[in-house]
Amino acid sequence: MEELIIIIVLIAIGYFFGSYAEAKHYRAIAHWERLLLKLPVVTSKNMLDPDREIEKAALVTGNVVVSIDYFKRFLAILRNLFGGQVKSYESLVDRARREAIIRMKKQAGRRTDIILNLRIETTTIGRNANQDKGIGSIEAIAYGTAVTYRKTDEIHP
Amino acid sequence: MRYTPKTLKTNVNVSPSSPVKELLLLLTGALAILILLYLALGFCVDLIAPKISPRLEERLGGLFSQFYADELHTTETERLQRLLDEEVKELPEKRLNYSVHLVENNQINAIALPGGHIVVFTGLLKEINTDDALAFVLGHELGHFIHHDHLRGLGRGLTLWALSAFLLGADNSVTTFLGHSLLGIQMKYTRQQETQADMFALEITHRTFHNVSGAVEFMQQLAEKEKRGPLAYYFATHPYPKDRIADIEEEIREKGYSLFKKN
Repeated sequence: MEELIIIIVLIAIGYFFGSYAEAKHYRAIAHWERLLLKLPVVTSKNMLDPDREIEKAALVTGNVVVSIDYFKRFLAILRNLFGGQVKSYESLVDRARREAIIRMKKQAGRRTDIILNLRIETTTIGRNANQDKGIGSIEAIAYGTAVTYRKTDEIHP
Repeated sequence: MRYTPKTLKTNVNVSPSSPVKELLLLLTGALAILILLYLALGFCVDLIAPKISPRLEERLGGLFSQFYADELHTTETERLQRLLDEEVKELPEKRLNYSVHLVENNQINAIALPGGHIVVFTGLLKEINTDDALAFVLGHELGHFIHHDHLRGLGRGLTLWALSAFLLGADNSVTTFLGHSLLGIQMKYTRQQETQADMFALEITHRTFHNVSGAVEFMQQLAEKEKRGPLAYYFATHPYPKDRIADIEEEIREKGYSLFKKN
């Protein structure tokens, strides 16, 4: 019986701390997305400006690992019974992807003009992420090519 | 191409939903399925229980032998066994080898285990000690055997355990907990089963000893002992002793059983 109580407590902790952490994370994501808004990121490879000279092109990556909490996992397990959208994991994946892009943009730095060929990949960490006793995490990695054009005043000094 | 920076107003990637509401909805659904399965399997158990052969039942009884492993062998045991034997003689058919085991325990209770084993706790002997009252208790447990209540209870316990093992895994804490409390589950009979066992006990004590004075004596003592309110009893499985007394008295009146010992 006491083990059942432990599970219930873990689910409650998962819910309260998980919701708190998620709300906090979303506020941070919104803040950084606004700050980094001016740097365009595209999935296309061919969006270079033909009239400008490229000064630098570099691989930029950003990755993040976000943990599942007991509450979300419990909801997902129940979902496995009935089928349907696993809504409890949606926000998790969304947060991970957006945070990864933010970190990638941060790595690119202020001088970057555009990030081309954006790719996002996700993976689970902890092999039994959705099984038995393991609480898994989701990793998202975003990468692309950061392109910096030569400034016009630098070409004609 | 011009780049116009703008923030997104809505997030289409996250469904707007209340997780608590979803949890409650899913839990209700899961519980409903479980209850339906349990009821369906319980129905099957009721069908199968009367068809279990005495040999199989004795083997099943072996699983519970640990509960009377440290039984007492005193004159009290012999006395209880003698009372039981006399009642068994009056049974239309002797399906099992009925035996009494006296176990040191403060509970005021007796239980019927598969294989014809009746376990009497010493706590019961402290409360009631007349032959008539004890005969009624033994008759009550015999009634459970005759009506296959103990097998139904065991079947239900196993059903619950199997469901838990199927859904949560055999080494899950809930499953282990259920496994440990199998005996507790099987002892929980319905009010109807208890009343039927009472009626059987009245009949068998009447046939054996030609009076049922012990029944009323026993029930009154129990009722005095149980000072809990009727509300607490609503959820309990043993019918409130006062209800049981009323049922027993009515049956005595109807069948015209004698309340007085013939000396």
